[in-house]
Amino acid sequence: MHPIWIILKSEFWRRVRSKAFVLATLLAPIGIVALFALPGLLTFFAADSGDEPPVAVVDATEQLLPHLQEQSSSFTFVQSNTNQEALADSVRAEVYSGYLVLPETLLQGEGTASFYRSSGGGLGTQNRIQNVVERAVRDVRLANEDVPDAVESILAASPSLEMRRITEQGDQADATLIYSAIGYMLAFVIYFAVFIYGQYVMQGVIAEKSSRVVEIVVSSVRPFELLMGKVLGIGAMGLVQMVTWGALVSGALAVAGPIFMLFMDPSAYDIAPDASQEAALEAAGITIPSLPLSLLVWTLLFFVAGYLLYASLFAAVGSAVERVQDAQSLMYPVFIPLLIPLLVIGVVIEAPNGTLSTVLSFIPFFAPILMVLRSALTDVAFWQLALSWLLVMATFVGTIWVASRIYRVGIFMYGKPPSLRELIRWARYRP
Amino acid sequence: MPTLSVDRVHKAYGDTKAVHDVSFSAAPGRILGLLGPNGAGKTSTLRMITHITQPDSGAVRYDERPVGPWSQRRMGYLPEERGLYPDLRVKEQLVYLGQLKGLSADAATERVHHWLERFEALDWVDKKTEELSKGMQQKVQFIATLLHDPQLLIFDEPFSGLDPINSDVLRDIILELRRTDRTILFASHRMEQVEQLCDDICLMANGQVVLKGDLREVKQRFGTNTVIVRFDGSDAFIDDLESEGAVRVHARSAHRAEMRLLNDTPARRVLQAALDTVDELHHFERTEPPLSEIFVEVVGEANAAQAAAS
Repeated sequence: MHPIWIILKSEFWRRVRSKAFVLATLLAPIGIVALFALPGLLTFFAADSGDEPPVAVVDATEQLLPHLQEQSSSFTFVQSNTNQEALADSVRAEVYSGYLVLPETLLQGEGTASFYRSSGGGLGTQNRIQNVVERAVRDVRLANEDVPDAVESILAASPSLEMRRITEQGDQADATLIYSAIGYMLAFVIYFAVFIYGQYVMQGVIAEKSSRVVEIVVSSVRPFELLMGKVLGIGAMGLVQMVTWGALVSGALAVAGPIFMLFMDPSAYDIAPDASQEAALEAAGITIPSLPLSLLVWTLLFFVAGYLLYASLFAAVGSAVERVQDAQSLMYPVFIPLLIPLLVIGVVIEAPNGTLSTVLSFIPFFAPILMVLRSALTDVAFWQLALSWLLVMATFVGTIWVASRIYRVGIFMYGKPPSLRELIRWARYRP
Repeated sequence: MPTLSVDRVHKAYGDTKAVHDVSFSAAPGRILGLLGPNGAGKTSTLRMITHITQPDSGAVRYDERPVGPWSQRRMGYLPEERGLYPDLRVKEQLVYLGQLKGLSADAATERVHHWLERFEALDWVDKKTEELSKGMQQKVQFIATLLHDPQLLIFDEPFSGLDPINSDVLRDIILELRRTDRTILFASHRMEQVEQLCDDICLMANGQVVLKGDLREVKQRFGTNTVIVRFDGSDAFIDDLESEGAVRVHARSAHRAEMRLLNDTPARRVLQAALDTVDELHHFERTEPPLSEIFVEVVGEANAAQAAAS
């Protein structure tokens, strides 16, 4: 058996059989879902202001208040005729959450409504009050001018826009938003996976060095073989984890539709009771994204390439130090190229086929994250994906070569952690 | 018979010359002691012999071929800084290290059992290495060195950290390996162990070989200018001899002294002085200097030469 294979197997098994690994593999998807669902849930709960005290309204127009009450479900408006000082005291005493002053001139299209509140409330409150007042004023003015109903309904209507995507078979509901979310998620999954598995490699190298067992091992195999076996073994562990997660997520999406159907009442959406699942989901406005197989395959391929590229660099950093803490300053040159793609996610989502997005997704250090993001958002030509992937792999051959030169020197260097410049000098040493 | 030969080897790390023009050879069935103070270049030399690093110039050959992955498989190396995987169980650890030396998993498992039995340590098979005491870990490490039945053995300070009983077990095994015609290299600071075990010595200082050869010949080269006295009573005679410049004392305790004769002082001069003052004389011997003295003297000269040159 080749030494790399022996090392790969040992590195793989000693990690995969641990309880920590099994738990992380099974529980992480739940954690990821929670992480993504949490902001939504928090917003949902934050918007719920049922317990808030009412808003007092000083209505000089004597017409707006009923409309306000009719418009808004999130505020309770009550009539008040007391003076402003008394109202301010009531707000301080939290009898009212605030008070709204509506001058008579509002109905002539002039003047400014004022909303007084104690600190807090946030932008959400401002937008909602603004909307409610705007609509109430519009309704009252239209009513006063005796505008025909037809005009009123024209003004009240807000046309909706449905996005559909043309496919081979015809067209289907467009899910750009959902695919943006998927792309965003995949980008982060790759980022975290590369970073975390890269850290495993670094810690493995440091542990072998600080326990001094490395000297025994390199008296049996070449340092390059040890480095390669370790990178591949931990990579195999990562791949098992990613494939498991991919299967769990695909499985969850596959059963999401039927489960939804069980709880759905067809009559509520005005469709036939025996309507197909597809039609029912569309009527309910729910899109369950189907993850194309090619996207999953490319995600795995780019994960593997990105992991190899960065893991080799993390290993070089690990070989230079004896403790994880000492690796901090040497890690920046490795960490920053990994971080940059996250900063341009917004740009790529805006225009996945734009020149900037395309160029960035060919830079090997950014490609693993940005190519996966792009191919989640849009159809990326096969040659682009293949070429970009090959570039990452070619760069990996270069980085592993440099890393192994640093590694074979670093594993015997004890004492003060080196500077980056020394690290680069090691790469030129004769073994 | 395969011989290890180190031939005009140089090695520098950056501007530091670690090893400078070093040559020596080690024959099967003999133990070569590689001696030298810290920083003498011993570890750098051992790393080239074990093919962990390569010389800048010169060659290391085993069985008349340059060392390489092939020789690593026939060689067992016990580094000075011991190390094992703390989280692996003893058996798994040893089988893994054996596989890296080219053994099949089955063969490695069989030999692990053989050696654990030999060290009366079969109960540890499934213990995690980090749960073992330091002495037990040393044994595991030693087994890892011997597992693949190497022909060439390199021990760097093998006895450090061993209690006397385990030291004896280890010494017996080293002597047994010598009987079966293994080539053994033994690096150490502990002179009494080197004197007990080694057939040949190679003394290094400042990256160079300063003295080498058959241990007995080397000692004879330094002459029988050492006197050992054991006695009861006053030891004032030693101070007198020393103050008049007749001897230099190497080692001294209440009832024993070891000294070197200076300026052609005859040994009987010491005997006479002793008889004048001691109550009883148990032992008087004129002999070769102990290795530790040769070591101190030769290294001292090498350092002086180095200082004069720079």
